[in-house]
Amino acid sequence: MVHQYIPNVSKIRKQMMDEVGIKDIEELFADVPQEIKLDRELRLPPPMSEPEVRRHLSSILSKNKPFTRMPTFLGGGVWPHHVPSHVRSVIHRSEFLTSYTPYQAEVSQGVLQALFEFQSMICELVGLDVANASMYDWATALGEAALMCARVTGRRKFIVPEIISRDRLSVLQNYTSGAHLRIVKIEPEKDTGQLNLKKLRREVDEDTAGVYIENPSYLGFLETRVDEIAEIAHKVGARFVVGVNPISLGIIKAPGDYGADIVVGEGQPLGNPVNFGGPALGIFACRDDEKLIRQLPGRLVGMTTTRNGETWGYTMVLQTREQHIRRERATSNICSNEALCAVAAAIYLASLGPTGFRDLAETCAANAKYAMDGLNRIDGLEAPVFDSPHFNEFTLRCERPGLSIEKFNRELLKHGIHGGKTLKKEFPELGETSLLCVTEIHTKEDIDLLLEAASRIVK
Amino acid sequence: MVREGLYYTREHEWAKVEGALVRVGVTDYAQKKLGDVVYVELPDVGKRIRQVAEPKTSDMEIGTLESIKAVSVVYSPLSGVVKEVNSSLADKPELVNSSPYDDGWICVLEPSSLEAELEKLMDSKNYIEYIKKIK
Repeated sequence: MVHQYIPNVSKIRKQMMDEVGIKDIEELFADVPQEIKLDRELRLPPPMSEPEVRRHLSSILSKNKPFTRMPTFLGGGVWPHHVPSHVRSVIHRSEFLTSYTPYQAEVSQGVLQALFEFQSMICELVGLDVANASMYDWATALGEAALMCARVTGRRKFIVPEIISRDRLSVLQNYTSGAHLRIVKIEPEKDTGQLNLKKLRREVDEDTAGVYIENPSYLGFLETRVDEIAEIAHKVGARFVVGVNPISLGIIKAPGDYGADIVVGEGQPLGNPVNFGGPALGIFACRDDEKLIRQLPGRLVGMTTTRNGETWGYTMVLQTREQHIRRERATSNICSNEALCAVAAAIYLASLGPTGFRDLAETCAANAKYAMDGLNRIDGLEAPVFDSPHFNEFTLRCERPGLSIEKFNRELLKHGIHGGKTLKKEFPELGETSLLCVTEIHTKEDIDLLLEAASRIVK
Repeated sequence: MVREGLYYTREHEWAKVEGALVRVGVTDYAQKKLGDVVYVELPDVGKRIRQVAEPKTSDMEIGTLESIKAVSVVYSPLSGVVKEVNSSLADKPELVNSSPYDDGWICVLEPSSLEAELEKLMDSKNYIEYIKKIK
């Protein structure tokens, strides 16, 4: 039989079998024990034509509920935001969509300039001088930051807050185990969730390569004593690393302005959609310090004048840090980045502009506050769990006996609402708690729907 | 160009005995192979190092030289402690190209077992033979 997609006609198959010396294809599977072989044809529906496949798939897809028909309050590292349609339209130009690493500057000015703009806007946003052309995601950027601190200081201890995404922590440990770094966690203050500075002071020492905080934290609250944390880190010669949701920087002070030496973060909310948790976009920036820049991981695009001094040109710079030149001694094993996502972020940031970006951050914070206050007013719910200022995410605890947070979320689903991320596996000590995310895409009606449903559920 | 009176490694570093100390750099052959040096990573003063031997390890390294398209490690011709580094290379890495045996030196060591280790190095005559062979 000639198969539609496998063009080996029986004559060719016979030739191939003669070549390897078998009579039947089954002989190739002689090593597979008889008892684990499926002794019948697969029970699959008969082949379909293209229109039939389309009809079949769209009937499956119709079970999906778009955001507009079912508000969702999921965040926790990937956040839903409106992506203006021109972002998609511009990145779908084939010059961006299909471009490879721009090693050859003379034929890659477009993508190089777009990445340079991305780097420049990230620098402006985080308050630092140098940003690379992106990393895979926040977690890998954090892993690289820890390794970079160790290379710069020659030390082996990296301090992180205990309240951090478990996924991110796991990637950090994976990245740093080969270099024999010791990841030390600092307990939070019980009431505020913020870093316990007494414990931090006790833990920092001559072997501390870096101190890391997240602002806003994984559970949505803000670290308010950032100046002190920077001072504690710098006093022992450690580097201060801050992880961010970049949207928050529309209203929160830039980490570079409170002493951060390295800033990492998740760039997905900048113009990149939410599909199965991604695609993600790692942000990585550092201070203008030659020691740091020499140890920076990833691609860097620089701007220069052309030989005759007439026009600007762009090119990858400081490539001697990278593995295609430095091989096993490279600053990092990363040889890819998220160029297309970075271009999307650049287009997004450029379209919003500083004023629009501030408006966006204010709207997210105000919407989250409205939802948080509303939920907290409901008897049997506490929001937030921590007594600290919050940005666009917050914790919600269910305090009604017998009502677990899973049950609460299931009930919300019945009301056509997707609740927050359950935190019981990651932070069992917080009890029946979930993490809710509210952004500019949540209308007052969406939030009121949540409040109404929640009060009915806990009644 | 190979200078007389210096000691040479198979990795193309030279050592010049100056009383109780030893000045170290890379050879003219090495700088020509590298091309334009754009950055020199120097060792920390006080670093304890071992004479280069197989298998090579990081405690035998006294720096790296970056040219536009390559990076190479500088190995120590002798064991000892780094006493001084050529800080003018920070602003003028090209000295490694223009003056490899003089202004382009890398560092000064206080050797820990000078006599025994010098025997493992080549003199200028042997080094000339050596680079003829690898050409």
